[in-house]
Amino acid sequence: MPIKYYLAFFLVPFLFNTASAQNKYTLSGTIRDAATGETLIGATVKVTGATAAGTLTNGYGYFAITQTEGAYTLTVSYTGYLPITKTINLNKDTKLNEELKSVNDLAEVTISANNRKNENVKSAQMGLERVDMKSLNSIPVLLGEKDILKTIQLLPGVKSGGEGNTGFYVRGGAADQNLIILDEAVVYNSSHLLGFFSTFNADAIKDVSLYKGGMPAQYGGRLSSVLDVKMDDGNNKEFKFQGGIGLIASRLKAEGPIVKDRGSFMVSFRRTYIDLFLRASPDSSINGSTLNFYDINAKANYKINDKNTIYISGYFGKDNIGVKDLFENNWGNVTTTIRLNHIFSDRLFSNTSLIYNNYNYTVRLLNDVTNFKATSLVRDFNFKEDFQYFSNKHALRFGLNATHHRISPIDITTSQESQVNSLTQEKRYGLETAAYVSDEWAVTDKLNFLYGIRLAAFSLLGPGNFSQYDPSGNIISTENVASGKFYKNYFNLEPRFSVSYLFNEQNSVKASYNRNTQNIHILTNATSSSPTDQYVLSSNNIKPEIADQVALGYFKNLDENNYEFSGEVYYKWLQNQIDYKNAAQLLANSNVESELLYGSGRAYGLELFFKKKFGKLNGWVGYTLSRTERKFTELNNGNYFPARQDRTHDISVVGIYNLNKRWTFSSSFIYSTGNAVTFPAGKYVINNQTAYYYTERNAGRMPYNMRLDLSATLEGKNRGRFQSSWNFGVYNALGRKNPYSIEFINDPNDPSRTVAEQTSLFGIIPSITWNFKF
Amino acid sequence: MKKIIIYFSILSCCFISCKKIIEVDTNNAEAQIVIEGKITDKLADQQVLISKTVGYSDKSIFPNVSGAVVMVTDDKGSRYTYIEKSPGVYVQAMRGIPGNTYTLTVTVEGKTYTASSKMPNNVKLDSVGVTVNSFFGNERKIAAAYLVDPANETNFYHFNLYVNNSFSKRIYVSNDRLTNGNKLRTQLYYSEDDDNDTGLKTGDKISVEMECIDSNIFDYWYALSQQSGRGPNQGTTPANPTSNISNNSLGYFSAHTFQKINITVP
Repeated sequence: MPIKYYLAFFLVPFLFNTASAQNKYTLSGTIRDAATGETLIGATVKVTGATAAGTLTNGYGYFAITQTEGAYTLTVSYTGYLPITKTINLNKDTKLNEELKSVNDLAEVTISANNRKNENVKSAQMGLERVDMKSLNSIPVLLGEKDILKTIQLLPGVKSGGEGNTGFYVRGGAADQNLIILDEAVVYNSSHLLGFFSTFNADAIKDVSLYKGGMPAQYGGRLSSVLDVKMDDGNNKEFKFQGGIGLIASRLKAEGPIVKDRGSFMVSFRRTYIDLFLRASPDSSINGSTLNFYDINAKANYKINDKNTIYISGYFGKDNIGVKDLFENNWGNVTTTIRLNHIFSDRLFSNTSLIYNNYNYTVRLLNDVTNFKATSLVRDFNFKEDFQYFSNKHALRFGLNATHHRISPIDITTSQESQVNSLTQEKRYGLETAAYVSDEWAVTDKLNFLYGIRLAAFSLLGPGNFSQYDPSGNIISTENVASGKFYKNYFNLEPRFSVSYLFNEQNSVKASYNRNTQNIHILTNATSSSPTDQYVLSSNNIKPEIADQVALGYFKNLDENNYEFSGEVYYKWLQNQIDYKNAAQLLANSNVESELLYGSGRAYGLELFFKKKFGKLNGWVGYTLSRTERKFTELNNGNYFPARQDRTHDISVVGIYNLNKRWTFSSSFIYSTGNAVTFPAGKYVINNQTAYYYTERNAGRMPYNMRLDLSATLEGKNRGRFQSSWNFGVYNALGRKNPYSIEFINDPNDPSRTVAEQTSLFGIIPSITWNFKF
Repeated sequence: MKKIIIYFSILSCCFISCKKIIEVDTNNAEAQIVIEGKITDKLADQQVLISKTVGYSDKSIFPNVSGAVVMVTDDKGSRYTYIEKSPGVYVQAMRGIPGNTYTLTVTVEGKTYTASSKMPNNVKLDSVGVTVNSFFGNERKIAAAYLVDPANETNFYHFNLYVNNSFSKRIYVSNDRLTNGNKLRTQLYYSEDDDNDTGLKTGDKISVEMECIDSNIFDYWYALSQQSGRGPNQGTTPANPTSNISNNSLGYFSAHTFQKINITVP
């Protein structure tokens, strides 16, 4: 659709938004948890009377509804909480802050059917998955470390990178195409311990939303998904502590009021102690080794007055791996976010954010002749101004965003006697700016639109030397650009559009189209990612990556919203994708852009999701049928080939059973087709060694993956304020040897034959964790 | 290093990794021509080997290709016609000269293949020694080549290691991108088969061959080394290394200098 028509369409709704003769007033306020004072995100607020209207609370628990003067019944509800019903007489603009009581024991209170929401059916939003932090606690995970990244990989359309691999893949996208934000700050590397654990300590997390498609216009900068993670604000009523002691890590969290009901803080700390076991080893080279990670989440908020609330939050995490006298490697993320919520009027809510985040790593080789220290840093300063305007049938959102990037690809420092030379690779600077506007429009009771547009600009800034290359990678010309000069600019318009049509309260169809662009890219030619992966900005050589996605879905709820079913199909076109030449040298190479290839891609699939939300037994079944392919002139004779993460079938089944007040059992089962990989089609001899001959790229398949994990939670006896629980888990209960890698070797029984040898990482792994709260 | 990290994390988490032989589903490709040609700066029978690929599931018996017309010219106007000494082995006694560009022409089974390689200047292999590394408490002896990299040019090195006359099945290739102009010690980890790093024992007789190669040949060995023995899911996505030979032949044609040092492990 040409942009001008799209813009015209954008303006149409406001023509219908003419004021009526009657007086209108706005009901607004904040919804909180009665026990902790935490704001509730996405709670449903409904008024019924002469007219009816409903809305959801925003990311700060705020809502506003505008209706004509009159008497109304107000209902506020939120999953897992007892609803509130009130009668109000709307004859002036009204402030109403409500607190909901949490239903801790689902077995005791069955949630009444009219409190079950059908937001999944009604909302125009597609491709959104919200992780329920309560059920997260019971889903079994490796070594009992509950993990949001592992949990989202159990949802349809999200594929895990596999055991021992960082990253996840959404709807055929690459691992670097996910926008992962923690309190609005970008987290570049979301994994600890090479992907076995994520950087998100579940204790400190309040809300997790994953957008697989239909991204609202306020998000931008990555092609495939948005993972929006929000930290806990902290209890503003009383001091609370919670923690856990597990096999490899322990956690502790403290929270409490700064000023009761006005401000609170939260601090959460986690550290692994595998290396304490190593230290116990009598072997000097083992006990001198390190292997640990830790992270700290901290947040504070203070309500200055009714119109202004300030939030400060931060994350600091670090991984350390080292072998005595051999090498040391550490990496981590730092994020800091300062936010001011300001309510201009009951209808206009604003949030201003100043964000700093960085990702850095250090590698030291301690060898006597090749010793060096290499460091790398990606640093962002980010400013965001976001407005939300609530009118009768519209929820309007608009804002600005500016991010300054600095990438220090690598600094190598060496000692005098080292045979490696010191080297500083030129830093790169970039500025990403965006302006967006979007509107959620309830056209009728049955028809909803969510549509918007984002203008994304990217500028590569000086100083720097920027080269052009010929196809074989030789420099044609180099331009020296002065500091602060805009060397290369890209502008992209990103339309976002979703529509839902309700047949009735239980059935709807939805469709969406969205365009996303990306200007920061990871370079790695290894098939698995690592902490030392390199980031590059769009440049004179690297064009912004572009993705266009269309999706169509059918949504149905059954048994008074106890069961949810959805089926979505999508098709995605990818432009300006990046791959590598043969023998590409990516590390510490100032001409790294000469090693790249540019191509296109496509991804399509079907996702089915069936979820039982309430009752003693709940859980879900997800199934994905999908394909994702890439096309590069220089690879595979210019034909489409499957991307590595192309897996035809993915099945996940999650079941949680609340036996009684004390025992909860849960299990998760996954099955997926193996990764697409390149197998040899022939072999030959070169320099007295067997070499393999390859024909089609990624035409082979790793063996399938299958895993069953089990977990049981035993709540301790009620001892007043102090509560504790035990969690027992078994990872890979079937003991299946899932493939990690395959090597081709000479058959030990007949060296003239070649056989494939598979390596697996994990057998059956039991775990036990003790959690407490007081 | 990544392998070390993974090995380490597996070990220290007390996880038990395990290996097993599996069946994989792959097609056997049609036989392709493989040409391996070398010209060194030593007066000797210079060899061009011509063979064919076999299918993945076939026995590793590689058919030699007879009846080819093999010729080398250089940029000084010399022309050498090779003779077939034994099936698939074509030879010509000559000595290459650093700085000269050699062009190979092979005509076989109705197709002509050509390749060029410029012999780089020689860098002296000063000595070969044995270093001792400690890896998780085990002391391991490793062969090492010592040389001084010239600062004024870009250099590429390829090594072969023999232990008790047995060829080490690893690819040793390096360049001076990060080490230009320095005294270099290049460790050559010995592996009897594809993967296992086995140390050297006192009394082992080792010989190290060093070749100064051109940049195309470096790319060839480097591409091969990144995927050799590792297979899918580690290293890069495997692909045939870019050959400097035309017409989609596999293999390479390299004009390089050659030095060899023998020692006994102390």
